[in-house]
Amino acid sequence: MGAASLPPWRANLATIAALIARARNELLRVPAAAIPGVLAPTIFFLGLNGAFGALTGLTGFTTGSYESFIVPISMLQGAGFTGAATGVNLARDIEQGWLDRLLVSPAPRWVLLAGMVLAAGARALIPATAVLAVALAVGAHWPGGAGLLIAFAMVVATAAIAACWGAMLALRFKSQSAAPLMQAGMLALILLTTAYAPLALLQGWLQDVARVNPITEVVEAARQGFVGGVSWADTWPGLLALAALLALLGALALREMRRTGV
Amino acid sequence: MAAIAVEGLERAFEGVHAVQGVDLEVGAGEIYGFLGPNGAGKTTTVRMLTTLLLPTGGRATVAGHDVVDEARQVRASIGVALQEAALDPLMTGRELIRLQATLHGLPAAEGRRRADRLLERVDLVDAADRRVGTYSGGMQRRLDLAAALVHEPRVLFLDEPTTGLDPVSRKTIWEEVRALNDAGTTVFLTTQYLEEADRLADNVGIIDRGRIVAEGTPAALKAGIGRPHVRLQLEEGSIAAAEEACARIGRLLPPVDGKTVLVEVERGAADIPRVVRALDEAGIEVGSLELVRPSLDDVFVAKTGHHLEKQGEAGGEDEGALAV
Amino acid sequence: MSALTTNARVVTALGARSIRQTFRRPQLIAPIVVFPTLLLAIQTGGAGSAVELPGFPPVQSFLQFMLAGAMMQSLMLAGNSGGIAMAIDIEMGFTDRLFAAPISRFSIVLGRLAGTAALGLFSALWFLAIGLAFGAEIAAGVPGALIAIVLVTVAALAIGGIAAAIALRTGTASVVQGMFPLVFVVLFLSSAFFPQELMIEPAKTIAEYNPFSFIVEGVREPIVAGVGASELLAATLAVTGIALLGLGLSARALRHRLRVG
Repeated sequence: MGAASLPPWRANLATIAALIARARNELLRVPAAAIPGVLAPTIFFLGLNGAFGALTGLTGFTTGSYESFIVPISMLQGAGFTGAATGVNLARDIEQGWLDRLLVSPAPRWVLLAGMVLAAGARALIPATAVLAVALAVGAHWPGGAGLLIAFAMVVATAAIAACWGAMLALRFKSQSAAPLMQAGMLALILLTTAYAPLALLQGWLQDVARVNPITEVVEAARQGFVGGVSWADTWPGLLALAALLALLGALALREMRRTGV
Repeated sequence: MAAIAVEGLERAFEGVHAVQGVDLEVGAGEIYGFLGPNGAGKTTTVRMLTTLLLPTGGRATVAGHDVVDEARQVRASIGVALQEAALDPLMTGRELIRLQATLHGLPAAEGRRRADRLLERVDLVDAADRRVGTYSGGMQRRLDLAAALVHEPRVLFLDEPTTGLDPVSRKTIWEEVRALNDAGTTVFLTTQYLEEADRLADNVGIIDRGRIVAEGTPAALKAGIGRPHVRLQLEEGSIAAAEEACARIGRLLPPVDGKTVLVEVERGAADIPRVVRALDEAGIEVGSLELVRPSLDDVFVAKTGHHLEKQGEAGGEDEGALAV
Repeated sequence: MSALTTNARVVTALGARSIRQTFRRPQLIAPIVVFPTLLLAIQTGGAGSAVELPGFPPVQSFLQFMLAGAMMQSLMLAGNSGGIAMAIDIEMGFTDRLFAAPISRFSIVLGRLAGTAALGLFSALWFLAIGLAFGAEIAAGVPGALIAIVLVTVAALAIGGIAAAIALRTGTASVVQGMFPLVFVVLFLSSAFFPQELMIEPAKTIAEYNPFSFIVEGVREPIVAGVGASELLAATLAVTGIALLGLGLSARALRHRLRVG
């Protein structure tokens, strides 16, 4: 103990890297586990497109291509699902005692959370890329380099937020039966926006909700490149929304982690 | 300075008092055995001492640090192997130990070195690069123990380290615990097996329903209950004559049936030759003779009114029996 | 006690057990109630303007249109859940215990299906109530509601039969679990969420011939228009067809399991 130790900041970084490596291992060693996370948003994308594609015929629709309109939604859904899955995995780890190993070590709680959350962000790139590929194949517009970068940035941050939400619930309920709440919560957050149609065409109550839902800004920012040009004015509100949600849910998740054992 | 000092420790869960005021002290370099039946509060106590659970009353210090106010320092000083071996089935044994090393802030190279040494020590070198999910129960416990040692902790907590293991694995763990202790590590071990507490612990604390009901060295606890007695079954000869012969050596105990003689002997095994000679002189043929020593279970029964272990469970061998 | 009475009791008891199980575990009840209701709200709110599209069938509101789709989603997920629960029973050996009892083997399957049908009934009532609460009218009144309820209940039984067949054949919960996305594929390739004439190819053509579209239309017609003989007939045929398929496959799978063990 002691003599051989690294300085705290290096130890923390190494711990975060090790936890991300563990999450990567899970993916590599049981690749089939990633399938639901990729399949769900892809089916939803194709299904929504086939069912609601005619909506672009309505006056006030900002584009003629429904695929282009909803691809960011499906990418974000993939992110939400990945983050929720992180919560489910944490619940499983708690049930099996694995979390105790981490909690009993001197690693700070925020470091443990950061490892999980960053891993979720990275993993979300997989379903997002799959959905994007399918969307482009059925005729979605290419978003351009900047549009693509912004969309992926939104995806990674949304996954991180979803992971904080999932972790918070996992630590609170210590059981995998909280899984539906983790998934429903993110699904609702992402779909209670301009997901299906532009703001003006939403029904009254949903229009009001979408206006105040910070994720609407995220959706619009991610959607930019697919339906038109990219501008800073359309991007910064999304970034702000993500930063605020990440700070809030991150704090809540950290609080739950510190309260474990109270 | 005591390695572990506990004062009035309490833990209540929604009205259930799992731990009701535990006081104990464990000296540096000692093996302390925390013995009690399932549900007695052993695991709850260990979770409080390892900072996984907050006490609802009382105080505790481990390696000189308060478990509530200086939790991080406590975590840096202790090694823990819990009842549920907290392992990830998809990792290999080596990866697990190296992760543990990282969690404790050891540089990667040092982590690798220590992993190699520890894997050899617990005899898992061949399985080191296989996934933990393929390990047997005994292998998983050994790995858990090895991981707990990677940062050379001063105090080691083992929660029921041999529950569910076969006798061979159990002996291996016992040897490892003794070796660690010989090298200076303080060990706090909880168990429901009295043989384990008896053989390993320097001091034993017996816990029942959240309270410590007896504490001391195994020998002192047992001596406090009573002396050993000799149990005779006769082949030929009268009971009365046997009783007379034995009464000269020790105190007769109430008979259990018409064929057995029970006589308390002060010097234990040393008195057996005297008993045998006396019976021989009286012309009595002995069918069987055993020396029955009080067990920790007897201590438990004396303090709580019920048995620690179900009859015929766990340890296997009858405590202290010397059948002739 | 006659064999019929015994079997009826077994079916009732096992049916009650499936219902209890479902309502006790959030993972099982959420897909049947929470997700479809959430989706109904969101899709009605998000795509509600669709009623203004030229060619959209005359309806009082998009909500009124969507109720049938929500019921369909719910009953199919109920069937899937029932299959998963049955597979878990097989994995845990509970089914063996039932097989060893002096009861008709098929009543074991019927018991599970009775539970699923009851969940279908529940979801029909639930969504009708939600519709009424939020202003949707049932065009054909009480008889219309009854038709919808009966169709949904029988459809749940039918889907349950297919899921049970998969469970009995594979004996593995994770395989049945894997059918979950398939439910959505089928729903999206039907007129559950949008009028078939206004869907986009190739979904449009598939939905035209998809038997699940007929069932959805059979449930939808009494709600948005009135009792239509052709829709009712098509739905009844589709539901009967799937029900016979499901029951037939379960019976075969059951025989196979009993033989092979």
